[in-house]
Amino acid sequence: MNVQAHRVSAVSSDDEAFEALFAAEYARVVGIANRVLTDPAEAEDVAQEVFIDFHRLHSARAQYAPAWLHRAAAHAALNRLRGAKRRQRRELAQAPDEDDRTLDPQKQLELNEDRRQVRQALARLAPKPAAVLVLRASGLSYAEVAQALGVGIGQVGTLLRRAEAALRKEVTSGTSN
Amino acid sequence: MVDDPDAKAGADARHLESCPECQARLKTMSDDARAVATLLAAPDVKVDVSAAFSRVRSAPQARPALGFRLPVTRPGSRPMVLAFAATIAIAALLVTAFAQNFKTFVSPNTVTPVPVTVADMQALSQLSDYGTVTWTTQPQMQVATTAAEAAAVSGLQPPKVAKLPAGVSSTVTYAAMTKAVAVFTFSADKASAAEAKNGKSLPPLPSGMNGAQLTVAVGPAVGEVYGDLKRANGSDVSSANLPQLVVGKSVTPSATSTQVSVKQLEDYILSLPGITPELKAAIKAIGDPSALVWSGSRAASCTRSPARSSSQTPSTSRITSPDPAPLA
Repeated sequence: MNVQAHRVSAVSSDDEAFEALFAAEYARVVGIANRVLTDPAEAEDVAQEVFIDFHRLHSARAQYAPAWLHRAAAHAALNRLRGAKRRQRRELAQAPDEDDRTLDPQKQLELNEDRRQVRQALARLAPKPAAVLVLRASGLSYAEVAQALGVGIGQVGTLLRRAEAALRKEVTSGTSN
Repeated sequence: MVDDPDAKAGADARHLESCPECQARLKTMSDDARAVATLLAAPDVKVDVSAAFSRVRSAPQARPALGFRLPVTRPGSRPMVLAFAATIAIAALLVTAFAQNFKTFVSPNTVTPVPVTVADMQALSQLSDYGTVTWTTQPQMQVATTAAEAAAVSGLQPPKVAKLPAGVSSTVTYAAMTKAVAVFTFSADKASAAEAKNGKSLPPLPSGMNGAQLTVAVGPAVGEVYGDLKRANGSDVSSANLPQLVVGKSVTPSATSTQVSVKQLEDYILSLPGITPELKAAIKAIGDPSALVWSGSRAASCTRSPARSSSQTPSTSRITSPDPAPLA
């Protein structure tokens, strides 16, 4: 059991356990969603929906809670990305974040275009390769990725390598069209 | 090896030093990994955890059903997930195969609950005594947290039940399955051995029966599973809570056979003297058209309403609910 799980299981009530889980995992769940959406506000929407879904059905004391949240965040964000209407709206509304504003306008345009193409390519991947890329890029260890996706830890490296090659291919084909 | 230097050790490392082909492959993979890391870079998000928690806590949907466990999403229960998925997939394949014999197509306006027990599903696994089942396209099962997620996996919108039958829990889980293709090959040798084990002999084989193949394609499919699911207690799978109601939608399945017709194959298996009553009942139950609601369009719907299992005794009776659930 990891430290977070200890912390969650040590609290007295279900509500307190959920609050402890939220405090421990919220930023990470937002980070996973933002890795897909590159839109902090929408990423927070996704993260909150994921926690609500979890809270409705599961006990926060469950050892699998973090893995469930990570996987659900990746899938929920990818589903939003695949929603055509939302994607169009997001692309139109996508404002530069604080770091990006230091770039000159030309570089800003290029960065936005790169991000748009990468996210479109990500949306075209099958759910599992897309999720493994997002989770790993969000800083999850191989063991955490394996738990989130319900695969053996020995499979993660292979899944990642295939997914990386697939994403590069998608990005390349997207830019050459 | 690409992003874990410690993995490059021992025999692998020595081989890599002397193998140009593997060096080239590793370089390609490393380039992919670096490129993807750059492509997926995103600025850190600053979050206000307290404010976010207040929003989540005040959401009406968050009123919890705490304590409920979803056995199919728990990583530790993976073997059970696979077993559950396999039995469901086998049931789906048999539904497909034997439903081809019934030409009754009706619109899926109502759901007729039919009880199916764990023993029913276990019995279907006995089919492997009479041949081999191989997947040419493995089904990918996925449990989803929302209807939208299930739709994204399967490409089909889950059906909506406007009114649940009395006593059926409103707790819903979504499940999606990609297309699956399986081939059942009847084996006279295996069937003969199975019969001999029961002190019986194989009836005369119709021409072409040995080696006859049944190819079945099902899915993609999407479903809503109602009920408070519970994991089996140890190896006693009969202690598991099966769903109270499963409402599913699938692309119209197809079945083709070689050497003999699907009906001939079904009739022959049912005629075997050594076949267990459980398998016979399961095949007949699956083949009962009253248990199925098919549409004539591209997408078909069928429903099964397994009763909560409390014993190994197979259920062969049909209980038709006086209050079928209308589909929205």
